[in-house]
Amino acid sequence: MLTRYVEAASSYAQDIDGLITLITVLVGFWFLVAQAVLFGLIFRFRAKQGVKAQYISGEEKSQKRWVTIPHMLVLVCDVFIIVGAVRVWTDVKQTLPPADHTVRIVSQQWAWTFIQPGPDGKLDTEDDIKTIDELHVKEGATYHFQLLSRDVLHSFSVPAFRLKQDAVPGRLITGWFKPTRPGAYDIQCAEICGIGHGIMAARLFVETPEEHQKWMEKLSPVARAPTPQAEAEQENTPPAEGASAGAGAE
Amino acid sequence: MSRAGYELPRSAFHLAVAALLLVGASGRAAGDAARGKELFANCAVCHGASGEGNEKLKAPAIAAMPQWYVEAQLQKFQTGARGAHPDDIEGLRMRPMSMTVKGEANISAVAAFVAALAPVRPAATLSGGDANIGKATYAVCAACHGPAGEGNPALKSPPLTQTQDWYLMAQLTKFKTGVRGTRPEDASGATMRPMALMLADEQAMKNVLAYVRTLAR
Ligand code: HEC
Ligand code: HEC
Ligand SMILES: [Cu+2]
Repeated sequence: MLTRYVEAASSYAQDIDGLITLITVLVGFWFLVAQAVLFGLIFRFRAKQGVKAQYISGEEKSQKRWVTIPHMLVLVCDVFIIVGAVRVWTDVKQTLPPADHTVRIVSQQWAWTFIQPGPDGKLDTEDDIKTIDELHVKEGATYHFQLLSRDVLHSFSVPAFRLKQDAVPGRLITGWFKPTRPGAYDIQCAEICGIGHGIMAARLFVETPEEHQKWMEKLSPVARAPTPQAEAEQENTPPAEGASAGAGAE
Repeated sequence: MSRAGYELPRSAFHLAVAALLLVGASGRAAGDAARGKELFANCAVCHGASGEGNEKLKAPAIAAMPQWYVEAQLQKFQTGARGAHPDDIEGLRMRPMSMTVKGEANISAVAAFVAALAPVRPAATLSGGDANIGKATYAVCAACHGPAGEGNPALKSPPLTQTQDWYLMAQLTKFKTGVRGTRPEDASGATMRPMALMLADEQAMKNVLAYVRTLAR
């Protein structure tokens, strides 16, 4: 249902949407009931000519029932929410399915650096691929991420994955995701981190295995060259290089 | 109606048009200056209200940097020719800030504002450099940065005397390690890089910067 508004592109996106829907429906139902009762009572006991207002202390059983019965029913609903939430939390945050690939995510004021193993499949070797503000992953593969911060708190947020994880300086935080749908999605920082926080965005490209292989072959020999693709995709394309050279010559 | 009577209103009309154009033009120039000032408010957070720089934020003094250089650097930051290297921590911080200046007109406006700021003469922070040895090295640098460190627009070389020595040191190190000046689209950075490679070690950099300081006085 929520995918109509925010695309879902990871294996656990549906579970999280399901949980949000469950909570919305249960809480929404009680919200509507409560409003109906409130306005019903307001209408029924509205000011009338010749009727004096009464002070009701709410101690009588018949009056208390208006609170205790809904309270019990809401608690029953809570059980469903808690069971659902714990199930999803365990799947997403407490278990770490075996990884096909690992990506290191370094956050800093105000950029994301993504370090992925090159063709040798190992991090911290010569052929590592480093990209700035652009993450390329393979559809259907399970990724572990190692999230780091170089300076202050940041939060790695990928709405399409329904993933959000804080980055804490001095800690290496591990998590996982499994992209399920090719496409280009947003990455954003979700923890206020200074003047550039609002523009600390990056792009995520979920690619088919063939596309991903091509990308890797293109980048791995020049491990240090980030691709300018992400910027080109942004609305406000910066001035072309020609303009830069022209301005410099003046 | 006499001939003169006809001519008079016509020249008056021309005058009026000319006056209007003038007012319009000066209005535009004033608008650019105002725009430059407005845009600079974003820069002042790090570079200081008078462009004097801030060492804690590793933001250099940019006051009175030539307009062409500021424009060129902003464009480089925007396209990723500078400040998009994974190890360029300060450059990565400046880069999103460059994105707040959209379009050539705004770039020129803020660059003109920066260029018009009064130059600063920052205090020395480096020690242990030998200006006499540095002077010999600087003979090479002078070819581009000028004998007095005043820069040379034709060679796209910036002045070196108006900014902090810690910043210049950091830049020399960045050029040397390939953090700056290695992107294929960074042509002017590529001309500077071999010069930094020529400086054997940190001491050599300190020496040449010690000499650059003597020029600043
Ligand atoms: C968040 C802090 C910050 C803000 C805001 C900021 N800058 Fe910077 N700027 C830096 C840092 C840090 C550097 C040094 C980058 C490096 O070490 O390579 C820098 C470098 C520069 C340079 C290069 C100077 C040189 O000598 O090469 C220019 C030009 C510049 N900034 C202009 C601006 C302008 C114009 C603005 C406003 C639109 C701005 N900056 C806003 C932090 C900032
Ligand atoms: C062939 C011309 C050339 C020579 C010789 C040269 N430079 Fe440069 N230098 C440049 C250019 C061009 C730039 C600007 C690069 C850019 O546009 O990013 C630059 C930039 C710099 C910067 C960074 C300034 C800033 O504000 O960011 C420093 C520091 C510097 N040069 C120091 C030196 C020193 C020291 C020497 C001598 C060892 C030297 N240069 C020799 C062309 C040269
Ligand atoms: Cu952040």
